[in-house]
Amino acid sequence: MPDFIETFIYHYVILRNMELISTVSKGSRMDQIYIPKNRHGLSIGSYVVIKPLENAPEQAQEDGENKSKRYFYYNIDSIEPLKIRIINEIMFMLHKYLDSYDNILITGSFAENGFNFNDIDIVVVSSSNTEIKPIQAKIQERTGIKADIIVIANDALIEGLSTDPLYQMMLSKCIARERFIYKIKDRIDYKVLDLHLLKSKPLIDNFDVLNGGEKYHLTRNLAAIKLFLHSKKISKESVDREIKSIFSLKDIMEIKDNLLDKKRFIAKYKRVYDETFKMILAGINK
Amino acid sequence: MVQNRNKLLDLFIGNIANAVVHRILERCIDNQEIAKRYVKESATSLEIAKRYREKINPTEDFLPVKDIDYIRTKIVNKVNSELIFRISKGYKGIDLDLVSKFADDALKEMKVAE
Repeated sequence: MPDFIETFIYHYVILRNMELISTVSKGSRMDQIYIPKNRHGLSIGSYVVIKPLENAPEQAQEDGENKSKRYFYYNIDSIEPLKIRIINEIMFMLHKYLDSYDNILITGSFAENGFNFNDIDIVVVSSSNTEIKPIQAKIQERTGIKADIIVIANDALIEGLSTDPLYQMMLSKCIARERFIYKIKDRIDYKVLDLHLLKSKPLIDNFDVLNGGEKYHLTRNLAAIKLFLHSKKISKESVDREIKSIFSLKDIMEIKDNLLDKKRFIAKYKRVYDETFKMILAGINK
Repeated sequence: MVQNRNKLLDLFIGNIANAVVHRILERCIDNQEIAKRYVKESATSLEIAKRYREKINPTEDFLPVKDIDYIRTKIVNKVNSELIFRISKGYKGIDLDLVSKFADDALKEMKVAE
């Protein structure tokens, strides 16, 4: 390719379309903004414009409405520009089609780095009984991505967050339409935890038929319950750390890639499962 | 991996039993709004059970009556034992009368019995 074409593409295609979302980090003498080392453009020494995300004009919507709405990113250090567009689209559609709601939260694997998601998990905080299937279909039609929407009342959400480690893990990282701060005190509900733990039981007898992703999900469930019972903070990262520590893994991908030593893994898994089950049952009479 | 029929049946039974226990415990959750969220979670065990069912002959037809009786009895016993253990520890609200019905429902779902 001739040099001038390369230069043209670099300046007018890559740089003009380049956008990175990042957070300002606190430093000792100067605050800073970290950007990925692996990137196109923005070479060392180049001048850039920094501006707050909340002032960025929102994409004009098809019906001509051009509104500016900032969202709240919880425990998300950076997010890909393409995902921002998807978020805007989804928030706009839900706002348009829902009769009433208190908040909209986008969570799950979509909120993780990269594009390893099959669907988008959305929690609509609302007390009204909205028919959600037509909205899911519209989102899928418009974005091409399957939306998994659950509608939950505010009280139930608070109850879920205080008793359910999976709610805590799910909402530890999310994008919220409205500010999302709850002061939650953990409460051990043995019935909820017993039910959750039961979900992880099949791994013990069915190791051979489960794929890496399934093994990871069942193990993650077990580790999250264990952390919750020990009043530890629950997030995807803390749960992954716990899994690595329990099973002496160097990398969590060893589970996802199905590279486990079955005998060793099952022995440890069974031990942690039994201990956790005992702890839950011990809580019944408290 | 080659697995003999009895081993497959045991694994199948274990997963169905787990799903039935799950369905009964769902009913014990005090907050119904919360309980609704867990309804689909017994699907993991059923999904695994389905994989074993596909390997148990006859795959396209109901199983022989002798097998159905064996599977049903084993499931009911396993579920009862799990639930009775919980009741003995003080777990409240477990309805043991649901075991047979839920076991039958699961066997129909898995095309084991009519």
